Amino acid sequence: MGRIKKFRLFTGSMLVAAALASPVLQAQETAKFALFHDFTKVYTFVADEISQGQRDYVTLINEEGGIKGYKFEALVRDHGNEPQRGIELYNRAREEGVVYYNFFSTPVSNAIVPRALQDKVVLGMPLTGRADAIVGEVFPYVFPMMATYWSQAARILQYIEESEGGLKGKKIAYVHIDSPFGREPIPIVDKLSRQKSFELRTFAYPSPGNEQSAVWSDVRRYRPDHVILWGAGNAQLVSIREAVRNGIDPAKMLSVVWLTETDMKNVGERTAIGIKRAEVVKPGRDHPIIQRILDKVYKAGKGAGPEERVGSSYYNYGVADMVVTFEGVKLALEKFGPPLTSEKLKLGLEMIRDLDTQGFMPPVTITEQDHQGGGYARVSQWDGKAWVPVSDWAAAFQDVVWEQARESAAKFNQTK
Amino acid sequence: MFYRQSGIYHTRYEATRRLWPIPFERWQVGVILLLVLAAPFYLSALYLQSYLLPWLIWSAATLSLTLLMGVAGQLHFGYAAVMAIGAYSAIHLVRFGLPFEFAFLGAGLIAALIGCLFGAAALRVKGLYLVMATLAMQYLVDWLIINVPAISGGAHATLQAPSARILFFSLENDLVRYYFALAWAVLLTVFLLNVKRTSFGRALVAIRDKDYAASVIGVNPFRYKLLAFFTSSFLGGMSGAVLAFCFYRAVTPEQFSFNVSTQLVAMVLVGGLGSVIGAFLGAGFVLLAPMILTNIVAMLSDFGWLNVSVNLLSHLPLMIYGALILGFLLAEPLGLAKIYDNIRNYFLVWPFKHSRR
Repeated sequence: MGRIKKFRLFTGSMLVAAALASPVLQAQETAKFALFHDFTKVYTFVADEISQGQRDYVTLINEEGGIKGYKFEALVRDHGNEPQRGIELYNRAREEGVVYYNFFSTPVSNAIVPRALQDKVVLGMPLTGRADAIVGEVFPYVFPMMATYWSQAARILQYIEESEGGLKGKKIAYVHIDSPFGREPIPIVDKLSRQKSFELRTFAYPSPGNEQSAVWSDVRRYRPDHVILWGAGNAQLVSIREAVRNGIDPAKMLSVVWLTETDMKNVGERTAIGIKRAEVVKPGRDHPIIQRILDKVYKAGKGAGPEERVGSSYYNYGVADMVVTFEGVKLALEKFGPPLTSEKLKLGLEMIRDLDTQGFMPPVTITEQDHQGGGYARVSQWDGKAWVPVSDWAAAFQDVVWEQARESAAKFNQTK
Repeated sequence: MFYRQSGIYHTRYEATRRLWPIPFERWQVGVILLLVLAAPFYLSALYLQSYLLPWLIWSAATLSLTLLMGVAGQLHFGYAAVMAIGAYSAIHLVRFGLPFEFAFLGAGLIAALIGCLFGAAALRVKGLYLVMATLAMQYLVDWLIINVPAISGGAHATLQAPSARILFFSLENDLVRYYFALAWAVLLTVFLLNVKRTSFGRALVAIRDKDYAASVIGVNPFRYKLLAFFTSSFLGGMSGAVLAFCFYRAVTPEQFSFNVSTQLVAMVLVGGLGSVIGAFLGAGFVLLAPMILTNIVAMLSDFGWLNVSVNLLSHLPLMIYGALILGFLLAEPLGLAKIYDNIRNYFLVWPFKHSRR
């Protein structure tokens, strides 16, 4: 009897010891995020800043003690916008047990989508990749997380409708780079032009968009009421210069998210005062999250890049990507406990309801069906020094966006 | 030393005409073939799927291009477009309901027909002017794919490769995809090794060296230039289909852009014009060197030996890669194949420095 008691005591104390030891063990757990970019080819205009924002937020979370005993490591590599290099990085990262992947390049993300679905790993695709991936039933492991290009285009049109008292009879020029990215929103603006009976004409300039003079004299002759700009990087600068040269009022121009402070400085701060853009994250340093980064990361000398960049539009997009992902991590660990896996992270992300970021982002709600996070965006205007919001966060014409997304996702499903 | 020739006496014509008359080389080929056949059993999925598989497929594409550029001497700067036609045709044909085997052939035929159309320019122009004509093909095909949603697959311009079977095996399986790509690469290798010894191959070589002279000796340049474009585009289109089904599994126009064409030309040139082993070495170098260099540089940085910004870290591999290409081409303008050949020649007569060939 005594022996048995002793044995019980022994095993009991072992269990207690194990229970006590496990949080200590957990504290050493590291989860890896693959935050790959195209630093060298096409996305150079944005990769540096977004990557810096992502890494700084990861550092911030680690500095603040991690989440539920987890610390995080960001793997940062260059894939040069080449799918085959992206696939190599993906396979390598899979061997390292990465839980979250973000390639920040449309061609590479699109090549990874079928693999991520097959391997059941979370692929974050904010502001890149296929716009129909918002359909959670068809793309269970793909998370666009922020308003897609379709929702941005819809938001821009809604802004015009609100500020002009209707779209009916308006002439809208859609000027875009002739690439899949530039053509992507056309079905949405086209559908809305029929629904809202405004006149739409599309103007394509050849990629990479360094020469657009012929297109813009066409746009001038068309005499549009509003011009929607759909380009990125240097093409945007050329567009603005040509538009101004052709006497188009900058206040009538609205751009996709890819227009930043740097672009406005390069084109001349006072050249295009009044130009507007779609925005999915608040720019600037005037926010608790950015202040925390400045305090805990940059004061400690652990910043991932030059401090001047902190708070730029693209930098904040990088931070926002991580804010949403870490919320998913937190929810997943709270609900399911360690170890953190990609499958748990997927469920965690789908539990995000009205994520309150104190105005850094619109309220994000991700569900099993909706991987877009609600599709909120707003419009901001360049005042010569900074981007000033001229509208509230809103999700625009989501019925049209979702109809298009479901139709396109159904096609994807057929061929899978 | 290795390539011993002593004791080899050819007593029959067949023996002299073998592909590899030196026994050591037959061993070499056999061992390499065994190694790649057994690769799935000793290579991890990472190296099989992201190094060996694309290497084989790109080698096949380089082989098809070297037939045109190296053997027939017709420059082609729009070869990615040829592969794009093959890839898109194969996918659309399979989606249309054709069995994969026929779609695969169909992809080659469609690519060959369109390739011939642009190749017809070669009947009138040569050299740099032909480069311009083929460049036009690249841009036209790019434009068509992007602008016709029925081809590109809708607003996202991404087309999934549908599930298909080759003979009785489903292409959904990683192993099947690998062996299919391997079989295709081996088939093309054997074809290219032999084509140089046929009347067709010799006619192409005659055209490459001087088309007037070729027509004087009775080779019809019209016919053979078109045939060169036809054959090369046929094989290139099929290689594009292999690339789409076995590697990418989802095609977008960016995968076949002008950059890819220049990469293919670089593979042919760095490897060595018209050489079979050069196609493999060139494809391997151009495709894998950036990946390997990126990993080496990243590893150095992880160890803390290379403390620079991420941006410079990403550009370093490119700089080294550029320097390597320059270095190789300065050291041996005839490409990697010639470097291999030099080594082989050295051992052929070792320990002597020269001998009669």
